[in-house]
Amino acid sequence: MRKLKILRTCGNKVILKRLDYKSEILKQIMGLTVSELKNINFFENYSDNHLRFFSEISSVKEFKVKEILFEQYDQLSDLYLLLEGTLSLGISLAKEKRIHLSSIQPGQLFSWSAVFEPQISTAWVMATGPAKVLAIDSKKLRKKFLNDCEFGFLTISKIARTISNRLSDTRFHLMNRLTI
Amino acid sequence: MTNIYKVLRATVEEVIDESPIIKTFVLIPESPFKFNTGEFIELSLNGFGEAPFTPSSSPLITDKLEITIMKTGYVTEKFHQLKSGEVLGIRGPFGRGYPVEKFFGKEVLILGGGCGLAPIRSLLFALEDVKDKLQRIILCYGSKSPSDCIYKPLFSRLNRIDKFETYRTVDKPEPGWKESVGVVTTLLDKVRMKIENTVAVVCGPPVMMKFGTIRLLEMGYKDDQIYLSMEKNMSCGVGKCGHCMMGEFFVCKDGPVFTYEEVKNTPDLWK
Amino acid sequence: MRLQFYSGKMNNLYRINRGDWHRLIQSLSVSSYNILAPVRNNGGIDYTIINNETRDEIVYNEAKPATPLKMFFLPVKLNVTRTVSDAKKTIIIGAPACDIEGLKLLDLIYLDEKFSDETYLSRRENTLLISTDCYCTQEHCHCTTYGINPYPAKGCDISLSSDKVDHYLMTWSEKGDQFIKELASSGQIDQVDKNKIEVISEQRNRTIKSLSEKNESIPGTEITGTIVRESGREIWKKYSSKCVSCGACSAICPTCTCFLLIDRPGFEKVKQLDTCQYPAFERVAGGEDPLKALSNRFKNRYMCKYAWRPKRYNVIACTGCGRCIEACISKINKNELIMELI
Repeated sequence: MRKLKILRTCGNKVILKRLDYKSEILKQIMGLTVSELKNINFFENYSDNHLRFFSEISSVKEFKVKEILFEQYDQLSDLYLLLEGTLSLGISLAKEKRIHLSSIQPGQLFSWSAVFEPQISTAWVMATGPAKVLAIDSKKLRKKFLNDCEFGFLTISKIARTISNRLSDTRFHLMNRLTI
Repeated sequence: MTNIYKVLRATVEEVIDESPIIKTFVLIPESPFKFNTGEFIELSLNGFGEAPFTPSSSPLITDKLEITIMKTGYVTEKFHQLKSGEVLGIRGPFGRGYPVEKFFGKEVLILGGGCGLAPIRSLLFALEDVKDKLQRIILCYGSKSPSDCIYKPLFSRLNRIDKFETYRTVDKPEPGWKESVGVVTTLLDKVRMKIENTVAVVCGPPVMMKFGTIRLLEMGYKDDQIYLSMEKNMSCGVGKCGHCMMGEFFVCKDGPVFTYEEVKNTPDLWK
Repeated sequence: MRLQFYSGKMNNLYRINRGDWHRLIQSLSVSSYNILAPVRNNGGIDYTIINNETRDEIVYNEAKPATPLKMFFLPVKLNVTRTVSDAKKTIIIGAPACDIEGLKLLDLIYLDEKFSDETYLSRRENTLLISTDCYCTQEHCHCTTYGINPYPAKGCDISLSSDKVDHYLMTWSEKGDQFIKELASSGQIDQVDKNKIEVISEQRNRTIKSLSEKNESIPGTEITGTIVRESGREIWKKYSSKCVSCGACSAICPTCTCFLLIDRPGFEKVKQLDTCQYPAFERVAGGEDPLKALSNRFKNRYMCKYAWRPKRYNVIACTGCGRCIEACISKINKNELIMELI
């Protein structure tokens, strides 16, 4: 399915650009300032230089209710952080049969698969209300890891914490099903 | 000297359906009954059986007692058949409840699951009474599904009170559910606490208490900041019959409220 | 706790001829006291009610009766909500030192300040305990392992030692002194200097020597507690493979008192002896049972006896009486297990 976006008008001509449905629907191209980043838990322990780097490689995106951010098995290019609103994460057993597993809360990381080969999503994520998300360019992030090991280790540790929590919550969920 | 095995009679005034398997019984004791939040009672069905429950009503009210009971077995099934007007027996209060004075000046984070909300409801009433001495009170509650969520009016009432915030989540959503989905630990990222000045209260089924406690420790809470309400087979309630022993502790006397610090070395703590 | 005993300075020592004592007991048994004393029974000795038929059969100073003392204060089944009536006073003669020591733990459990058990207290108060020296031992006696001597000390009302001619009665409480005063009116009891107790010290020492030699390698409470705590699973699986969860060890143990509360009409409650050896002892409403596996139940009793109770109450819980070894259907010997753990 292709979405058409009106880029600009020129006289009577309307210039249309075909957009692939997977590419970003940009409303705001600006990212967040360093001081705004400092208010977010995830950015604790980073130096101001690191925060400036994040500010340069990230942007804020907005999503409407029922918008799909990405599907299970999609190729991912951004690491996401939920700033405001509500998202739902889940898996699909069959086409159109979506299982809602968990909500993503503001402050939480998702789309972490974008950082690691083969960059394939493990779940779908959908907006269940209006949502604002910080999108961090994972290609630029990975390049930085190779140059700045301290930054790399710190970031990977934080991502690992998210994955670990996700795994722990999944096991908790499983135990609920198995024991009661 | 009072006989520790004799009951105080109480009449059932009302039976409230909370969920398909949970009911709340409003009891009128024949004389005023005082308890501290978190302490428990042994409730007797005349000639049939006795079981331990933590009152879910406010400790400030002494002429009425609310007990929430989940149908899980022989005795609780009989409780569920009770009608208003029937007479029950109460022994207690027993045990060590929540030390509310130790929460003064702090933020209180309460993690509740399933039927664990019953003792927490009583704690919330007690905290409401002293909220001027507290910084913030946050309740994170998880149930299996929206129908399994008990005390439905409680959440909207609390959200209207200054200093209280509540968040709910369900394992399995139903159509129309607008709040979070997932296990209760997923709510912990949502609430931003000053961890060094917070007490965490965890109450629910053993699986939930285990995962909840582990997550809190990973987040930086110290062992003595986490308050647990241990469930064991309490019978006599007075530290004699031995059924509730957990290592050298009697849950009925030294608990049911413990800090994680006190019980962390108990073998098979979460069984 | 309302029971008071002398610690050693206030005791008084009395002497009475054995024949005179026997006649005194005869007259008491028909008057205001129930008297229980050991007689020969089934190859051992056990308590029986002393009356005209049994009073000539009382056996003195011959190790422990089969019934532990706890049975008189914590009967197998008892309605605990009926008001306690003023019962006839009871005298128990022949309580061994191991059982007297065990009573210390029972008093701490049942007579705690906040929740004192009325029925237990009234039985304790209405019973006069005459404990006796042991001048011989049974196969599995090992009280000395746990710091207990085979002769009574603080905890009884009167301790009774004997030589060929006389009984020596040392009082350990006001109740004991009071009782002696009542008897003294008959003129046959003399108060003697406390040092006179030395006459039977030779007999006492002989008993201690034989116990120490037989049991010298068995470790005491603290070491046993540590090795049980740190043990792996294999040894418990091995020893519990023969266990059938009959609960005889708990039933006969002087310090096992766990019970079930059974409801009766009218909100009455019956207290019945129970044991962690039975399945579902710790099962909770949700269905989880930490002691579901037999080997876990089997280990639980050792942990309770050697680690948890001593830690909580600061007294010993196993008194080395050895009754559990004698009672076990499968002949499981706890000392064999403990020695294998070292």
